[in-house]
Amino acid sequence: MEDPLYREIILEHWQNPQNYGTIKSPDFKIEGSNPTCGDKITITVKIGAGKISDIKFTSEGCAISKASASLLTEKVKGMKLKDVRKLTEISALKALPIEITPARHNCALLMFRTIKEKL
Amino acid sequence: MLYKKDFPIFKNNKQMVYLDSAATSQKPQVVVDAVNDFYTKNNSNIHRGLYDLAQRAEDLYEGTRKKVAEFINADSKNEIIFTGNTTESINLVTLRYFEKVLKKGDIVVISEMEHHSNIVPWLRLKEKLDIKIYYIPVTKDFLLDFDKLLKAGLDFKKVKLISLTHASNVLGTINPLEEIIPKLKSKFPNAKVLIDAAQSIPHIKVDVVNLQCDFLAFSSHKMFGPSGLGVLWAKTKLLNDMDPLFLGGHMIETVTKQKATFASSPQKFEAGTGKLEAVVGLGAAIDYINSLNIKNVQKYEDKLTKYALSKLPKIKNVQFYGSLSPKYRLPVFSFNIGSVHPHDASEILNRKQISVRAGHHCNQVLMEILNSPSGTIRASLSIYNTIDDIDKLIEGINMVKKIFKN
Ligand SMILES: Cc1ncc(COP(=O)(O)O)c(C=O)c1O
Repeated sequence: MEDPLYREIILEHWQNPQNYGTIKSPDFKIEGSNPTCGDKITITVKIGAGKISDIKFTSEGCAISKASASLLTEKVKGMKLKDVRKLTEISALKALPIEITPARHNCALLMFRTIKEKL
Repeated sequence: MLYKKDFPIFKNNKQMVYLDSAATSQKPQVVVDAVNDFYTKNNSNIHRGLYDLAQRAEDLYEGTRKKVAEFINADSKNEIIFTGNTTESINLVTLRYFEKVLKKGDIVVISEMEHHSNIVPWLRLKEKLDIKIYYIPVTKDFLLDFDKLLKAGLDFKKVKLISLTHASNVLGTINPLEEIIPKLKSKFPNAKVLIDAAQSIPHIKVDVVNLQCDFLAFSSHKMFGPSGLGVLWAKTKLLNDMDPLFLGGHMIETVTKQKATFASSPQKFEAGTGKLEAVVGLGAAIDYINSLNIKNVQKYEDKLTKYALSKLPKIKNVQFYGSLSPKYRLPVFSFNIGSVHPHDASEILNRKQISVRAGHHCNQVLMEILNSPSGTIRASLSIYNTIDDIDKLIEGINMVKKIFKN
């Protein structure tokens, strides 16, 4: 059964999130939370040559927040910092393979907002 | 179907399965009509209006006060204070009674199953006055462990307040307060007793004489009445000892340039113009409950509870948080489905128009005890629900399991 939101790709990233874990000696470590849902995320980042050379996250939260974090870390990994800074929330939502209903924007954007705040 | 027809929301949302009555109840037509009638026939400010319309408005407003007093078996209508909601009622007692009487080292007893509205105000007093808070633990069977309290070795003279919920908005547990309060009062003779009846009052008889309490708080919106209105009941003597929180119109006796004296209760606590139409609507809600007879409500809801308990906890991979015995229980059911986050589950249930609440339900302390930091899914039922609604919930749960392969 395919649900419009919980599509196979989301469930796949929920169960096997990419870039999940912690970088040993990161250049920075940031924490974010979404108090309405109780979602929490910790992101560790390594910078090299003006790029995000490595990024990992751990999180506690719903499938949407975990899968989005997985997908968006894949997107920003290897990107130039100045390009990441230019990304908007709208473009982040567009980068996800599903339509996110407004009620779940906070979940889907948790990783993105957390990293943008630091950059 | 017996009661559902009384609630117009279901005529306008035919497929909806509303399972969130612990958050707020739906309103019967008679309550909607009472509010509408107030504005279309009787609207005027109250207090000293010397014309017919104002008198009618005042009679309706004060008539509700009397209905509330009779409904909870209070001594006098002057013991009924209209507030904004349960939260405001508890805060009023905290700020205007206990902040004055509690001293450093005094103990306030609450429980691990309290709503934030019966925790956070006491935490503020803890900071301010250096009092202690003792939490009655929740047992593995989701009941309060009163034995632990009795054997905790607390300095019995220091226990000045026992403030407990009559029923849990997460677990559905009804605490046997009528039995236990006399025991607690004899063990802790200096303790006042406050009861949060927000959850119990639409489901079971709440009688302040039988409960032997000193303060009682509840909300209109959870008992089929309008929102924005709550009640604080307290014994007259205690109300006399309490200063008003807000000062201004309607609550004074005399005012000069230098000094004001205050009216007596309840006016003293109701500064400014009140929620006139909501009070009138609450009167209609009480008439409605009385017309059903709370015993019939309980009988009907017990049937729903028994059915739900025979099904929900048995679904594979469902973790169920609540007593499995239908005795002393509200039709409030908290659970989780495998490793699925409650918000994801409720989103799927919503696809079938099943309205449940997901999260911590303003009970973060309890969520920690349940080891459920993301919270739970909660289905809470009322008289307008049916066995069919429970079957639809079960179908929905199975759909969640299928989608998430749990
Ligand atoms: C047990 C309990 N106490 C207090 C409250 C607070 O009620 P209100 O939001 O109307 O102040 C609630 C509401 O959910 C509740 O369930």
